[in-house]
Amino acid sequence: MTESAGSSTSPANPGQGILEGVRVLDLSSHVSGPFCAKLMADYGADVIKVEQPSLGDVARRSGPFVGDDPHPDKSVQFLYLNSNKRGITLDLTSSSGKAILKELLAKADVLVENFSPVDSKNLGLDYHSLGAVNPELVLTSITPFGQSGPYRDFSATDIITCAMSGLMYHSGDSDRKPLRNVLDQSFYVAGANAAAATLAALFQRLNTGEGQRVEVSIVECLASHLVQAVPYYTYMGAIKGRRPVRGSGFEELMPAKDGYVVPSVQGSQPWPVVAELIGLEELKDERFATGAGRIEHGEELKELLIKGLANWDRKPLFQASGEQRLVFGMAQDAGDLFDCEHLRERGFFVEVDHPVSGKAEYPGMGPKMSAMDFEFRYPAPLLGQHNTEIYCEELGYTPSDLVNLRSGGII
Amino acid sequence: MTGSESGQIFKKRPLDGIRVVDLSRVFAMPFAGANLADFGAEVIKIDTHHTQFMDTTRTITGPFPDNDPGEAYWERAGTFHTLNRGKTSLTLDLRSEAAQDLLKDLVRVSDIVLENFTPRVMARFGLDYASLRAVRPDLIMVSNTGYGHSGPWSNFGAMASALEPTHGTGAFMGYLEDSPNGRAPEDAPNKMGNSYTDFLATWTALTAIMASLLYRARTGQGNWVDLAMYQVGVSYAGEGILDYAFNGRRTRRMGNRHQSMAPHGCYPCQGENQWVTIAVRDDADWRAFSQVLAVEEGFGGILDEKFEEPLGRLNNQDELDDIVSRWTSTQGQYQVMEVLQKAGVPAGPVLNARGLLTDPHFRDRGYFEAVEHPPETGLGRREYIGRGWRLSKNDLSITKPASLLGEENDLVLHQLLGLTEAQIQSLEQVDLIGKTPVGGTAPATVSLERQVELGWTVERDPDFLPR
Repeated sequence: MTESAGSSTSPANPGQGILEGVRVLDLSSHVSGPFCAKLMADYGADVIKVEQPSLGDVARRSGPFVGDDPHPDKSVQFLYLNSNKRGITLDLTSSSGKAILKELLAKADVLVENFSPVDSKNLGLDYHSLGAVNPELVLTSITPFGQSGPYRDFSATDIITCAMSGLMYHSGDSDRKPLRNVLDQSFYVAGANAAAATLAALFQRLNTGEGQRVEVSIVECLASHLVQAVPYYTYMGAIKGRRPVRGSGFEELMPAKDGYVVPSVQGSQPWPVVAELIGLEELKDERFATGAGRIEHGEELKELLIKGLANWDRKPLFQASGEQRLVFGMAQDAGDLFDCEHLRERGFFVEVDHPVSGKAEYPGMGPKMSAMDFEFRYPAPLLGQHNTEIYCEELGYTPSDLVNLRSGGII
Repeated sequence: MTGSESGQIFKKRPLDGIRVVDLSRVFAMPFAGANLADFGAEVIKIDTHHTQFMDTTRTITGPFPDNDPGEAYWERAGTFHTLNRGKTSLTLDLRSEAAQDLLKDLVRVSDIVLENFTPRVMARFGLDYASLRAVRPDLIMVSNTGYGHSGPWSNFGAMASALEPTHGTGAFMGYLEDSPNGRAPEDAPNKMGNSYTDFLATWTALTAIMASLLYRARTGQGNWVDLAMYQVGVSYAGEGILDYAFNGRRTRRMGNRHQSMAPHGCYPCQGENQWVTIAVRDDADWRAFSQVLAVEEGFGGILDEKFEEPLGRLNNQDELDDIVSRWTSTQGQYQVMEVLQKAGVPAGPVLNARGLLTDPHFRDRGYFEAVEHPPETGLGRREYIGRGWRLSKNDLSITKPASLLGEENDLVLHQLLGLTEAQIQSLEQVDLIGKTPVGGTAPATVSLERQVELGWTVERDPDFLPR
């Protein structure tokens, strides 16, 4: 990686992440816990994904799949969320499985799980039990509603947590239903919240020598986004809603020649710069020059805006806006992003060769850092791929032990 | 507060003893700073009393109590107080070299710097990472920008409402139904809104900071985090990007539907703008769900055999959604939640801010935290959003309200940086520091009635009680 954050200072330990030496057991499935553990893995933690024998992570069974082939190693969600982890299988419901988990725990710094409160208790994953095995362990539990309160045992999928966190009420258009994002965003947000809190607990351990339980509630993570809607109510009794369809069209998705753009009056440039960029003489009218005027003449302005934007393709408009120090946006799909020259130059995409799914360029890490260069150390694991490596080479089981554990359905 | 399962609470919070210099503005990084303060860090927010360069959340963002900015308007904005709780305040006019030197002196005795200027601004101030690292070699610094410090778009400004569709999550969101406002359903992306991208940057910054603190403890080295909100946003659409990389698929818009669950959606309830979400995951959910409906008068059709198998439900979603909507329309949103959750089926109301603040679960868990503001603000006691995590051996909560503008000027400059009273006074005289805004007036507000007309707000709650 050239031109990286490292250009002003080279990484202190090239090829290694800043969480090197941190061992994470990832007992979670689907999105929230796996994303939490993936973030730690991307920062260099040694993450071991622990899956139930034969079935594995539920994400292995959710589409889309590579080549639309519903194969457990071809779910793109699983591939994305579990790269940089090693994988083992273990039946956590069996007594042998529980005993082996204790051995794994002895060397672990973090355990991430997202079972329901009832299931996690039944599996013995409470902090009281696990902390007794390893007092330095940080146990991170992610659930829709947290470990207390009247809804703690309610079931939820992403649409439910988006709704009950307040996010969805504000998503979409005001004259239509609330709208959800397909990409399970509440679970991603919760995973990132969990990673931050888990690492804070690890940092505190440096002073106290003790681990603790980190409890994450998905709805509470997302409710934290409402830094406008909540004070609108607590300060004024006003209920904010979805985006208005009335108004000038600025800061909204508006049609351009080859797709949608977001024209914006924000930034520090006066109105004539905006009008000049869009390139319609009528927009230069004094009536539109102030915020109050744009509100007053919103409908008329929107008509003109639609007329002006119809002459533009998305990207040239976006580029011109940036060069004029305006902050327009453009609607990009996955293909646009994959081909984005800006992300390419920042080295965001990194090729991964997966033994079953083959080669592809994967999205890399969000931030760039001077202290490390991001790399993919492992493609997403096959089910039980690292059983021998972990159980034999690390825990000292013999190959014949492994055969017995396998025939007993333990691994 | 759930407190500790073992009953033990550490005496110090996780970031006790960590000092943060928070130069950031608006939403994303200020909120990261507020969360660091909740974690126990000493967070010094650098602002200025020159209104032109003041954090805009003090002014134009609002909201103000009863929509009245009042005389001390810069101390009265609700979003500002949400994003800056727990912080102390130092004003510095960073355009001057003397202020830049003072900032460097402050960085010398601090652990973390947060900033979100465009790359050229920090370089112009001589406050880029290379310059600050020269005075504090193990500095951890987060530079949050729209597009990062490298690449062809690095000098482009950005804001979350335009970034959200730009970084691709919007492509995975859209209505299936025809639009009343002329948007074609098949090619119209949409937005989650609420400055969604800002908060992805907040969580990313916090994770990077915590990882960097662990790294610094182990190696003695600092870290510079080049946080491009665009790139972070794309990482939240990673599985969609990978679907393109493998399969060439560019989008996956399906309204509120799900690829394998049906019924799955957002359904109208009794009352205006009242909605409930329902997700029938599998056959077990379906059996429970259909039994709930079947006992109701006029809903026997739910037992039709074409709905028995998952594929049948997916292939007959329009008809199924009609039946479900017809049923939910006769129910309250909490009623639907109660009856379906009792049957084990995921369901829950679409809550707005009032709904959250009054919801029994959020109240039981003490999610919203009351803060008593100083009398100068006229704010009294208000409730603020808490956080998504609880640490069993800590009692994390908002430590104090945001300080008044420049409240700790003397404290920071004297106690931390060793300036004399005379030196501090001369800084005031040349307007490098100050506690009263210069050059501005209270922001204009739009009446709440007009806001409802414009669609900025849905309604004004007549029974609103300041919480």
